[in-house]
Amino acid sequence: METNPAFNKYMDRYYDYLGHWDSPSKCGLKLIKRQDGKTLAIATEIYRQNPGTAVTEVVDSLATQILKTSGEAPGGLIFIEHTPDLGSKLTFYGESFDRVEFEWNGEKFSSPVWTRLTKEQVDRMMEE
Amino acid sequence: MKFKLIYPRWEKLEGQTIFYLPPHGPVVMAAAVPEDIEIDFTDENVEDLVIDDSADLVGISMMLTTQVKRGWEIADQYRALGKKVIFGGISTMLHAEETMLHADSVFLGEVEGRLEQVFADFRKNDLKKIYNYLSKPPDMNLIGPANRNILKKDLYYHKGFRMVDLFHASRGCIYDCYPCAVRYLGGRGFRPRPIDRVVEELSQMDNNRLFIVDNSLALDTEWEKELFKAMIPLKKKWVSHTIEDKNEVLDLAAQAGAWYVYQAVFDTSDYIRNRIKQYHDYGIAVEGTILLGLDNQTEDDIKRLIDFLLEIDLDLAEFTVLAPFPHTKAYSDLLKQNRIFDKDWNHYNAGKVVYQPKHMSPERLTELYHYAWDTFYKDEPQTMKMFNLINRVMSKELADGTYTARRRDLADLSFGKKVTDTV
Repeated sequence: METNPAFNKYMDRYYDYLGHWDSPSKCGLKLIKRQDGKTLAIATEIYRQNPGTAVTEVVDSLATQILKTSGEAPGGLIFIEHTPDLGSKLTFYGESFDRVEFEWNGEKFSSPVWTRLTKEQVDRMMEE
Repeated sequence: MKFKLIYPRWEKLEGQTIFYLPPHGPVVMAAAVPEDIEIDFTDENVEDLVIDDSADLVGISMMLTTQVKRGWEIADQYRALGKKVIFGGISTMLHAEETMLHADSVFLGEVEGRLEQVFADFRKNDLKKIYNYLSKPPDMNLIGPANRNILKKDLYYHKGFRMVDLFHASRGCIYDCYPCAVRYLGGRGFRPRPIDRVVEELSQMDNNRLFIVDNSLALDTEWEKELFKAMIPLKKKWVSHTIEDKNEVLDLAAQAGAWYVYQAVFDTSDYIRNRIKQYHDYGIAVEGTILLGLDNQTEDDIKRLIDFLLEIDLDLAEFTVLAPFPHTKAYSDLLKQNRIFDKDWNHYNAGKVVYQPKHMSPERLTELYHYAWDTFYKDEPQTMKMFNLINRVMSKELADGTYTARRRDLADLSFGKKVTDTV
Protein backbone atom coordinates (compact mmCIF):
# COMPACT_ATOMS: atom_id res chain seq x y z
CA MET A 1 0.00 0.00 0.00
CA GLU A 2 1.31 3.44 -0.88
CA THR A 3 2.22 5.58 2.10
CA ASN A 4 1.16 9.21 2.25
CA PRO A 5 4.35 11.32 2.50
CA ALA A 6 2.62 13.52 5.07
CA PHE A 7 2.34 10.58 7.43
CA ASN A 8 5.01 10.01 10.04
CA LYS A 9 5.69 8.45 13.40
CA TYR A 10 2.92 10.45 15.06
CA MET A 11 0.32 10.36 12.33
CA ASP A 12 -0.66 7.47 10.10
CA ARG A 13 -4.01 8.61 8.80
CA TYR A 14 -6.34 11.56 8.43
CA TYR A 15 -9.36 11.89 10.65
CA ASP A 16 -12.45 13.87 9.70
CA TYR A 17 -14.26 15.59 12.52
CA LEU A 18 -16.89 18.22 13.06
CA GLY A 19 -15.52 21.56 14.22
CA HIS A 20 -17.28 24.70 15.35
CA TRP A 21 -20.83 24.87 14.04
CA ASP A 22 -20.30 21.46 12.49
CA SER A 23 -17.63 22.76 10.11
CA PRO A 24 -16.04 19.84 8.25
CA SER A 25 -12.54 19.60 9.73
CA LYS A 26 -9.55 17.31 9.41
CA CYS A 27 -6.53 16.37 11.50
CA GLY A 28 -3.83 13.73 11.51
CA LEU A 29 -4.37 10.78 13.82
CA LYS A 30 -2.43 7.89 15.28
CA LEU A 31 -4.09 5.40 17.60
CA ILE A 32 -1.89 3.02 19.56
CA LYS A 33 -3.17 0.22 21.72
CA ARG A 34 -0.64 0.22 24.53
CA GLN A 35 0.61 -2.71 26.53
CA ASP A 36 -1.32 -1.48 29.56
CA GLY A 37 -4.54 -1.77 27.58
CA LYS A 38 -5.09 1.97 27.20
CA THR A 39 -5.40 3.70 23.85
CA LEU A 40 -3.01 6.52 23.05
CA ALA A 41 -4.49 9.00 20.55
CA ILE A 42 -2.23 11.56 18.91
CA ALA A 43 -4.16 14.25 17.04
CA THR A 44 -2.03 16.36 14.75
CA GLU A 45 -2.96 19.86 13.57
CA ILE A 46 -2.44 19.94 9.81
CA TYR A 47 -2.95 23.69 9.30
CA ARG A 48 -3.64 24.42 5.61
CA GLN A 49 -4.83 20.88 4.98
CA ASN A 50 -7.47 21.36 7.65
CA PRO A 51 -10.45 23.08 6.03
CA GLY A 52 -12.24 23.73 9.31
CA THR A 53 -11.64 24.33 12.98
CA ALA A 54 -8.20 23.96 14.55
CA VAL A 55 -7.64 20.97 16.82
CA THR A 56 -7.06 23.06 19.96
CA GLU A 57 -10.30 24.95 19.58
CA VAL A 58 -12.50 21.89 19.68
CA VAL A 59 -10.16 19.46 21.39
CA ASP A 60 -12.80 18.20 23.83
CA SER A 61 -15.29 17.57 21.05
CA LEU A 62 -12.60 15.99 18.88
CA ALA A 63 -11.52 13.68 21.71
CA THR A 64 -15.15 12.67 22.19
CA GLN A 65 -15.50 11.91 18.48
CA ILE A 66 -12.29 9.86 18.49
CA LEU A 67 -13.39 8.02 21.61
CA LYS A 68 -16.67 7.02 20.02
CA THR A 69 -15.04 5.76 16.85
CA SER A 70 -12.30 3.91 18.74
CA GLY A 71 -14.64 2.04 21.03
CA GLU A 72 -12.37 2.83 23.98
CA ALA A 73 -13.74 3.60 27.46
CA PRO A 74 -13.37 7.27 28.50
CA GLY A 75 -10.86 6.41 31.21
CA GLY A 76 -8.83 4.35 28.78
CA LEU A 77 -8.05 7.14 26.34
CA ILE A 78 -4.80 9.06 26.62
CA PHE A 79 -5.04 12.09 24.37
CA ILE A 80 -2.07 13.99 22.95
CA GLU A 81 -2.31 17.09 20.81
CA HIS A 82 0.53 17.50 18.33
CA THR A 83 1.48 20.53 16.28
CA PRO A 84 4.15 19.75 13.68
CA ASP A 85 7.14 21.90 12.84
CA LEU A 86 6.20 24.07 9.86
CA GLY A 87 9.79 25.05 9.22
CA SER A 88 8.92 28.69 9.87
CA LYS A 89 11.45 31.04 11.39
CA LEU A 90 8.68 32.14 13.73
CA THR A 91 8.97 30.14 16.92
CA PHE A 92 5.24 29.64 17.35
CA TYR A 93 5.22 27.20 14.45
CA GLY A 94 7.66 24.75 15.96
CA GLU A 95 6.75 21.23 16.98
CA SER A 96 4.93 20.73 20.25
CA PHE A 97 3.16 17.97 22.12
CA ASP A 98 0.58 18.45 24.85
CA ARG A 99 -1.22 15.86 26.87
CA VAL A 100 -4.84 16.94 27.20
CA GLU A 101 -6.92 15.80 30.14
CA PHE A 102 -10.65 16.26 30.32
CA GLU A 103 -13.66 15.88 32.53
CA TRP A 104 -16.15 13.22 31.43
CA ASN A 105 -19.86 13.81 32.05
CA GLY A 106 -21.09 10.43 30.87
CA GLU A 107 -21.58 11.60 27.28
CA LYS A 108 -18.71 13.82 26.31
CA PHE A 109 -15.39 15.33 27.33
CA SER A 110 -15.12 18.94 28.50
CA SER A 111 -12.83 21.33 30.40
CA PRO A 112 -9.55 20.50 28.65
CA VAL A 113 -6.29 21.07 30.50
CA TRP A 114 -3.05 20.97 28.51
CA THR A 115 0.32 19.82 29.84
CA ARG A 116 3.38 20.28 27.63
CA LEU A 117 5.34 17.10 26.88
CA THR A 118 8.74 16.57 25.33
CA LYS A 119 9.11 14.44 22.26
CA GLU A 120 10.99 11.88 24.34
CA GLN A 121 8.11 11.65 26.79
CA VAL A 122 5.71 11.04 23.93
CA ASP A 123 7.97 8.36 22.47
CA ARG A 124 8.05 6.58 25.83
CA MET A 125 4.27 6.82 26.15
CA MET A 126 3.93 5.19 22.74
CA GLU A 127 5.87 2.16 23.93
CA GLU A 128 4.36 1.66 27.38
CA MET B 1 -40.48 46.79 5.75
CA LYS B 2 -37.90 48.75 7.71
CA PHE B 3 -34.57 47.20 8.68
CA LYS B 4 -32.55 49.07 11.27
CA LEU B 5 -28.86 48.29 10.76
CA ILE B 6 -26.44 49.32 13.50
CA TYR B 7 -22.65 49.43 13.72
CA PRO B 8 -21.86 49.68 17.45
CA ARG B 9 -19.32 52.11 18.80
CA TRP B 10 -16.09 51.09 20.49
CA GLU B 11 -13.59 52.85 22.66
CA LYS B 12 -10.62 54.19 20.75
CA LEU B 13 -7.06 53.62 21.88
CA GLU B 14 -5.81 56.09 24.43
CA GLY B 15 -3.51 58.72 22.98
CA GLN B 16 -4.00 57.67 19.36
CA THR B 17 -5.13 59.87 16.51
CA ILE B 18 -8.87 59.45 16.23
CA PHE B 19 -10.46 59.04 12.85
CA TYR B 20 -13.44 57.14 11.53
CA LEU B 21 -13.69 55.36 8.23
CA PRO B 22 -16.98 54.39 6.61
CA PRO B 23 -17.49 50.79 7.74
CA HIS B 24 -17.22 48.05 5.18
CA GLY B 25 -19.19 45.13 6.62
CA PRO B 26 -22.54 46.95 6.76
CA VAL B 27 -22.32 48.20 3.16
CA VAL B 28 -21.41 44.74 1.88
CA MET B 29 -24.26 43.28 3.87
CA ALA B 30 -26.68 45.99 2.68
CA ALA B 31 -25.94 45.06 -0.94
CA ALA B 32 -27.38 41.61 -0.29
CA VAL B 33 -30.58 42.85 1.35
CA PRO B 34 -33.65 42.46 -0.90
CA GLU B 35 -34.45 45.69 -2.71
CA ASP B 36 -37.94 46.11 -1.27
CA ILE B 37 -36.56 46.52 2.23
CA GLU B 38 -35.81 49.98 3.56
CA ILE B 39 -32.47 50.15 5.39
CA ASP B 40 -31.90 52.74 8.10
CA PHE B 41 -28.23 52.63 9.06
CA THR B 42 -26.55 54.10 12.13
CA ASP B 43 -22.79 54.07 12.67
CA GLU B 44 -22.66 54.72 16.37
CA ASN B 45 -19.06 55.91 16.12
CA VAL B 46 -20.13 59.07 14.32
CA GLU B 47 -23.76 59.59 15.37
CA ASP B 48 -26.02 58.92 18.31
CA LEU B 49 -28.24 55.88 18.23
CA VAL B 50 -31.88 56.42 19.09
CA ILE B 51 -33.43 53.17 20.22
CA ASP B 52 -37.12 53.06 19.47
CA ASP B 53 -39.68 50.67 18.05
CA SER B 54 -39.89 52.15 14.55
CA ALA B 55 -38.04 49.32 12.83
CA ASP B 56 -39.49 45.93 11.96
CA LEU B 57 -36.21 44.07 12.32
CA VAL B 58 -32.91 45.15 13.86
CA GLY B 59 -29.53 44.06 12.51
CA ILE B 60 -26.26 44.55 14.37
CA SER B 61 -23.08 44.36 12.33
CA MET B 62 -19.88 43.92 14.33
CA MET B 63 -16.32 43.85 13.06
CA LEU B 64 -14.20 44.18 16.20
CA THR B 65 -14.10 42.24 19.42
CA THR B 66 -14.29 45.61 21.20
CA GLN B 67 -17.74 46.12 19.65
CA VAL B 68 -19.39 42.99 20.94
CA LYS B 69 -20.33 44.08 24.44
CA ARG B 70 -21.88 47.29 23.15
CA GLY B 71 -23.65 45.30 20.43
CA TRP B 72 -25.13 42.96 23.02
CA GLU B 73 -26.24 45.95 25.11
CA ILE B 74 -28.03 47.48 22.13
CA ALA B 75 -29.69 44.16 21.32
CA ASP B 76 -30.90 43.73 24.87
CA GLN B 77 -32.57 47.14 24.72
CA TYR B 78 -34.29 46.43 21.40
CA ARG B 79 -35.45 43.02 22.55
CA ALA B 80 -36.90 44.61 25.68
CA LEU B 81 -39.04 46.64 23.28
CA GLY B 82 -40.17 43.42 21.61
CA LYS B 83 -38.01 43.80 18.52
CA LYS B 84 -36.25 40.89 16.88
CA VAL B 85 -32.48 41.28 16.55
CA ILE B 86 -30.14 39.52 14.14
CA PHE B 87 -26.34 39.76 14.39
CA GLY B 88 -23.73 39.39 11.67
CA GLY B 89 -20.18 40.36 10.81
CA ILE B 90 -16.69 39.26 11.72
CA SER B 91 -16.86 39.53 15.49
CA THR B 92 -20.29 37.93 15.54
CA MET B 93 -18.56 34.91 14.05
CA LEU B 94 -15.70 35.11 16.53
CA HIS B 95 -18.07 35.39 19.49
CA ALA B 96 -21.07 33.48 18.19
CA GLU B 97 -21.95 31.45 21.28
CA GLU B 98 -21.96 34.48 23.55
CA THR B 99 -23.77 36.61 20.99
CA MET B 100 -26.57 34.06 20.72
CA LEU B 101 -27.47 34.87 24.32
CA HIS B 102 -28.45 38.37 23.18
CA ALA B 103 -29.89 37.58 19.77
CA ASP B 104 -32.97 36.21 18.11
CA SER B 105 -30.73 35.11 15.30
CA VAL B 106 -27.05 35.08 14.36
CA PHE B 107 -25.75 34.92 10.82
CA LEU B 108 -22.41 33.18 10.38
CA GLY B 109 -20.56 33.40 7.10
CA GLU B 110 -20.93 35.52 4.00
CA VAL B 111 -24.29 36.99 3.03
CA GLU B 112 -24.46 37.01 -0.76
CA GLY B 113 -27.47 35.06 -1.95
CA ARG B 114 -28.60 34.23 1.57
CA LEU B 115 -30.53 37.20 2.93
CA GLU B 116 -33.68 36.68 0.85
CA GLN B 117 -34.29 33.57 2.92
CA VAL B 118 -33.53 35.33 6.19
CA PHE B 119 -36.02 38.11 5.53
CA ALA B 120 -38.60 35.64 4.23
CA ASP B 121 -38.22 33.68 7.46
CA PHE B 122 -38.65 36.86 9.47
CA ARG B 123 -41.82 37.73 7.59
CA LYS B 124 -43.19 34.27 8.38
CA ASN B 125 -42.19 34.74 12.04
CA ASP B 126 -39.83 31.84 11.53
CA LEU B 127 -36.44 33.48 12.00
CA LYS B 128 -33.87 30.76 12.67
CA LYS B 129 -31.67 30.96 15.75
CA ILE B 130 -28.65 30.45 13.57
CA TYR B 131 -27.86 30.77 9.87
CA ASN B 132 -24.61 28.91 9.46
CA TYR B 133 -22.77 29.43 6.20
CA LEU B 134 -19.27 29.32 7.67
CA SER B 135 -18.17 26.43 5.50
CA LYS B 136 -20.17 27.47 2.46
CA PRO B 137 -18.69 30.56 0.85
CA PRO B 138 -20.84 32.03 -1.90
CA ASP B 139 -20.07 32.12 -5.59
CA MET B 140 -17.68 35.05 -5.97
CA ASN B 141 -19.70 36.20 -9.00
CA LEU B 142 -22.53 37.03 -6.61
CA ILE B 143 -20.49 39.70 -4.86
CA GLY B 144 -21.69 42.88 -6.47
CA PRO B 145 -20.95 46.50 -5.62
CA ALA B 146 -21.38 47.30 -1.94
CA ASN B 147 -24.37 49.48 -1.09
CA ARG B 148 -22.71 52.67 0.13
CA ASN B 149 -25.95 54.59 -0.24
CA ILE B 150 -26.83 53.61 3.32
CA LEU B 151 -23.95 55.75 4.64
CA LYS B 152 -24.39 59.33 5.76
CA LYS B 153 -21.28 60.28 3.84
CA ASP B 154 -20.85 63.78 5.26
CA LEU B 155 -20.04 62.22 8.63
CA TYR B 156 -16.77 60.79 7.32
CA TYR B 157 -15.00 64.09 6.75
CA HIS B 158 -12.43 65.85 8.90
CA LYS B 159 -12.32 69.60 8.36
CA GLY B 160 -13.63 69.12 4.86
CA PHE B 161 -11.23 66.30 3.97
CA ARG B 162 -12.92 63.07 3.03
CA MET B 163 -11.78 59.79 4.53
CA VAL B 164 -10.96 56.82 2.32
CA ASP B 165 -13.72 54.38 1.41
CA LEU B 166 -13.21 50.71 2.10
CA PHE B 167 -13.30 48.19 -0.70
CA HIS B 168 -12.42 44.53 -1.19
CA ALA B 169 -11.20 42.60 -4.19
CA SER B 170 -10.85 39.16 -2.62
CA ARG B 171 -11.72 37.05 0.40
CA GLY B 172 -9.98 34.31 2.35
CA CYS B 173 -6.32 33.64 2.89
CA ILE B 174 -3.99 30.70 2.45
CA TYR B 175 -1.86 31.59 5.45
CA ASP B 176 -2.29 30.73 9.09
CA CYS B 177 -0.74 33.78 10.69
CA TYR B 178 -0.34 33.67 14.43
CA PRO B 179 -2.62 36.55 15.48
CA CYS B 180 -5.13 36.31 12.62
CA ALA B 181 -8.58 34.68 12.51
CA VAL B 182 -9.11 34.84 8.77
CA ARG B 183 -8.55 31.10 8.38
CA TYR B 184 -11.66 30.65 10.54
CA LEU B 185 -13.68 33.49 9.07
CA GLY B 186 -12.95 33.30 5.40
CA GLY B 187 -11.81 29.78 4.85
CA ARG B 188 -8.31 28.65 4.04
CA GLY B 189 -8.46 29.31 0.34
CA PHE B 190 -7.81 32.56 -1.48
CA ARG B 191 -10.97 33.64 -3.31
CA PRO B 192 -10.39 36.54 -5.66
CA ARG B 193 -13.34 38.40 -7.13
CA PRO B 194 -13.62 38.41 -10.90
CA ILE B 195 -11.70 41.41 -12.20
CA ASP B 196 -14.66 42.77 -14.18
CA ARG B 197 -16.81 42.80 -11.04
CA VAL B 198 -14.07 44.61 -9.15
CA VAL B 199 -13.75 47.24 -11.87
CA GLU B 200 -17.54 47.60 -12.02
CA GLU B 201 -17.63 48.47 -8.33
CA LEU B 202 -14.59 50.76 -8.43
CA SER B 203 -16.06 52.66 -11.37
CA GLN B 204 -19.20 53.39 -9.38
CA MET B 205 -17.36 54.76 -6.35
CA ASP B 206 -17.37 58.55 -6.07
CA ASN B 207 -14.39 58.58 -3.70
CA ASN B 208 -11.00 58.71 -5.38
CA ARG B 209 -9.19 57.45 -2.26
CA LEU B 210 -9.66 53.91 -1.11
CA PHE B 211 -8.50 51.38 1.41
CA ILE B 212 -8.40 47.93 -0.18
CA VAL B 213 -9.03 45.86 2.92
CA ASP B 214 -8.09 42.41 1.55
CA ASN B 215 -5.92 40.49 3.99
CA SER B 216 -3.18 40.31 1.42
CA LEU B 217 -3.02 41.07 -2.26
CA ALA B 218 0.10 38.92 -2.50
CA LEU B 219 -1.57 35.55 -2.89
CA ASP B 220 -1.97 35.07 -6.63
CA THR B 221 0.53 36.84 -8.86
CA GLU B 222 -1.38 36.64 -12.12
CA TRP B 223 -4.66 37.82 -10.58
CA GLU B 224 -2.82 40.59 -8.76
CA LYS B 225 -1.21 41.80 -11.99
CA GLU B 226 -4.50 41.64 -13.88
CA LEU B 227 -6.20 43.56 -11.07
CA PHE B 228 -3.63 46.34 -11.13
CA LYS B 229 -3.67 46.56 -14.92
CA ALA B 230 -7.45 46.93 -14.84
CA MET B 231 -7.23 49.60 -12.17
CA ILE B 232 -4.78 51.87 -13.99
CA PRO B 233 -7.40 53.71 -16.11
CA LEU B 234 -9.54 54.39 -13.03
CA LYS B 235 -6.83 56.60 -11.49
CA LYS B 236 -7.84 55.74 -7.94
CA LYS B 237 -5.38 56.21 -5.11
CA TRP B 238 -5.34 53.48 -2.53
CA VAL B 239 -3.97 51.98 0.62
CA SER B 240 -3.68 48.23 1.08
CA HIS B 241 -2.04 45.47 2.99
CA THR B 242 0.98 43.67 1.58
CA ILE B 243 1.71 43.72 -2.13
CA GLU B 244 3.91 41.03 -3.61
CA ASP B 245 7.64 41.80 -3.72
CA LYS B 246 8.08 41.11 -7.43
CA ASN B 247 9.25 44.17 -9.33
CA GLU B 248 6.73 43.80 -12.14
CA VAL B 249 3.90 43.60 -9.60
CA LEU B 250 5.06 46.65 -7.68
CA ASP B 251 5.47 48.59 -10.91
CA LEU B 252 1.87 47.82 -11.89
CA ALA B 253 0.66 48.60 -8.37
CA ALA B 254 2.30 52.00 -8.51
CA GLN B 255 0.72 52.69 -11.90
CA ALA B 256 -2.63 51.57 -10.50
CA GLY B 257 -2.43 54.16 -7.75
CA ALA B 258 -0.82 52.44 -4.77
CA TRP B 259 -0.46 55.20 -2.20
CA TYR B 260 0.83 53.36 0.83
CA VAL B 261 0.82 49.83 2.20
CA TYR B 262 0.61 48.28 5.62
CA GLN B 263 3.62 46.05 5.98
CA ALA B 264 4.25 43.86 9.00
CA VAL B 265 7.69 44.49 10.47
CA PHE B 266 8.48 41.50 12.64
CA ASP B 267 12.25 41.55 12.85
CA THR B 268 15.34 43.62 12.05
CA SER B 269 16.47 41.59 9.07
CA ASP B 270 17.79 42.77 5.75
CA TYR B 271 14.69 41.20 4.22
CA ILE B 272 12.52 43.78 5.97
CA ARG B 273 14.96 46.60 5.24
CA ASN B 274 15.00 45.72 1.54
CA ARG B 275 11.24 45.24 1.44
CA ILE B 276 10.64 48.78 2.66
CA LYS B 277 13.22 50.16 0.26
CA GLN B 278 11.63 48.28 -2.61
CA TYR B 279 8.24 49.88 -1.94
CA HIS B 280 9.86 53.29 -1.72
CA ASP B 281 11.69 52.71 -5.00
CA TYR B 282 8.29 52.48 -6.67
CA GLY B 283 6.96 55.58 -4.90
CA ILE B 284 4.79 53.59 -2.53
CA ALA B 285 4.87 54.73 1.08
CA VAL B 286 4.89 52.25 3.97
CA GLU B 287 3.09 52.15 7.27
CA GLY B 288 4.80 49.51 9.38
CA THR B 289 2.56 47.38 11.55
CA ILE B 290 4.47 46.19 14.56
CA LEU B 291 3.12 43.57 16.89
CA LEU B 292 4.63 43.60 20.36
CA GLY B 293 4.59 40.90 23.01
CA LEU B 294 5.26 37.79 20.95
CA ASP B 295 7.02 34.95 22.72
CA ASN B 296 10.20 35.48 20.75
CA GLN B 297 10.56 39.12 21.88
CA THR B 298 12.56 40.15 24.92
CA GLU B 299 12.69 43.74 26.13
CA ASP B 300 15.95 44.21 24.26
CA ASP B 301 14.42 42.81 21.08
CA ILE B 302 11.58 45.32 21.25
CA LYS B 303 13.93 48.24 21.82
CA ARG B 304 16.17 47.07 18.99
CA LEU B 305 13.14 46.76 16.72
CA ILE B 306 12.09 50.33 17.42
CA ASP B 307 15.60 51.61 16.67
CA PHE B 308 15.47 49.65 13.43
CA LEU B 309 12.16 51.27 12.43
CA LEU B 310 13.75 54.67 12.69
CA GLU B 311 16.65 53.54 10.51
CA ILE B 312 14.56 52.16 7.67
CA ASP B 313 12.65 55.36 7.03
CA LEU B 314 9.11 54.12 7.57
CA ASP B 315 6.49 56.69 6.65
CA LEU B 316 4.20 55.71 9.51
CA ALA B 317 4.20 53.02 12.17
CA GLU B 318 1.37 51.43 14.09
CA PHE B 319 2.18 49.54 17.26
CA THR B 320 -0.11 46.99 18.81
CA VAL B 321 0.25 44.46 21.56
CA LEU B 322 -0.76 40.92 20.84
CA ALA B 323 -4.47 40.43 21.40
CA PRO B 324 -5.40 36.74 21.43
CA PHE B 325 -8.66 36.94 19.53
CA PRO B 326 -10.75 33.78 19.55
CA HIS B 327 -10.12 31.37 16.69
CA THR B 328 -6.49 32.39 16.24
CA LYS B 329 -3.41 30.31 16.87
CA ALA B 330 -2.33 32.94 19.38
CA TYR B 331 -5.51 32.27 21.35
CA SER B 332 -5.07 28.50 21.11
CA ASP B 333 -1.46 28.61 22.28
CA LEU B 334 -2.05 30.99 25.17
CA LEU B 335 -5.17 29.11 26.19
CA LYS B 336 -3.22 25.84 26.34
CA GLN B 337 -0.65 27.50 28.54
CA ASN B 338 -3.29 29.13 30.74
CA ARG B 339 -1.74 32.57 30.15
CA ILE B 340 -4.87 34.58 29.30
CA PHE B 341 -5.91 36.43 32.45
CA ASP B 342 -8.40 38.99 31.12
CA LYS B 343 -11.55 37.96 29.24
CA ASP B 344 -13.19 41.39 29.14
CA TRP B 345 -13.66 41.79 25.40
CA ASN B 346 -13.57 45.58 25.71
CA HIS B 347 -9.90 45.18 26.59
CA TYR B 348 -9.09 43.33 23.35
CA ASN B 349 -8.19 46.54 21.55
CA ALA B 350 -4.55 45.62 20.87
CA GLY B 351 -3.48 48.37 23.25
CA LYS B 352 -4.09 46.55 26.51
CA VAL B 353 -2.22 43.46 27.63
CA VAL B 354 -4.65 40.65 28.44
CA TYR B 355 -2.21 37.76 28.75
CA GLN B 356 1.04 36.94 30.50
CA PRO B 357 3.93 37.69 28.11
CA LYS B 358 6.75 35.17 28.07
CA HIS B 359 9.70 37.45 28.79
CA MET B 360 8.29 40.29 30.86
CA SER B 361 5.39 41.34 33.01
CA PRO B 362 2.17 42.66 31.46
CA GLU B 363 2.96 46.03 33.01
CA ARG B 364 6.40 46.12 31.40
CA LEU B 365 4.96 45.22 28.01
CA THR B 366 2.45 48.06 28.40
CA GLU B 367 5.33 50.44 29.15
CA LEU B 368 7.22 49.26 26.08
CA TYR B 369 4.10 49.69 23.95
CA HIS B 370 3.89 53.35 24.99
CA TYR B 371 7.66 53.70 24.63
CA ALA B 372 7.36 52.46 21.03
CA TRP B 373 4.75 55.05 20.07
CA ASP B 374 6.55 57.87 21.88
CA THR B 375 9.96 57.02 20.47
CA PHE B 376 8.91 56.55 16.87
CA TYR B 377 6.94 59.82 16.77
CA LYS B 378 9.31 61.84 18.97
CA ASP B 379 10.88 63.93 16.21
CA GLU B 380 7.91 64.11 13.88
CA PRO B 381 4.41 63.64 15.32
CA GLN B 382 1.97 61.19 13.80
CA THR B 383 -0.27 63.98 12.51
CA MET B 384 2.66 65.52 10.66
CA LYS B 385 3.64 62.22 9.11
CA MET B 386 0.03 61.67 8.01
CA PHE B 387 -0.05 65.17 6.60
CA ASN B 388 3.04 64.32 4.53
CA LEU B 389 1.27 61.26 3.14
CA ILE B 390 -1.80 63.31 2.26
CA ASN B 391 0.36 65.87 0.52
CA ARG B 392 1.91 63.07 -1.47
CA VAL B 393 -1.43 61.76 -2.70
CA MET B 394 -2.68 65.26 -3.46
CA SER B 395 0.34 65.83 -5.69
CA LYS B 396 -0.39 62.64 -7.56
CA GLU B 397 -4.04 63.58 -7.95
CA LEU B 398 -3.19 67.06 -9.19
CA ALA B 399 -0.84 65.49 -11.73
CA ASP B 400 -3.47 63.15 -13.13
CA GLY B 401 -6.44 65.50 -12.84
CA THR B 402 -8.39 63.63 -10.17
CA TYR B 403 -7.88 66.01 -7.26
CA THR B 404 -11.03 67.12 -5.50
CA ALA B 405 -10.80 70.15 -3.24
CA ARG B 406 -11.82 69.86 0.37
CA ARG B 407 -15.46 70.58 1.23
CA ARG B 408 -15.63 74.15 2.55
CA ASP B 409 -19.11 73.56 3.95
CA LEU B 410 -17.67 70.88 6.25
CA ALA B 411 -14.49 72.78 7.17
CA ASP B 412 -15.50 73.32 10.79
CA LEU B 413 -16.68 69.77 11.34
CA SER B 414 -14.80 66.65 12.25
CA PHE B 415 -16.80 63.47 11.73
CA GLY B 416 -20.05 65.35 12.11
CA LYS B 417 -19.07 67.27 15.22
CA LYS B 418 -17.76 70.78 15.65
CA VAL B 419 -14.00 70.71 15.35
CA THR B 420 -11.92 70.16 18.42
CA ASP B 421 -8.23 69.39 18.58
CA THR B 422 -8.68 65.63 18.62
CA VAL B 423 -7.21 65.20 15.16
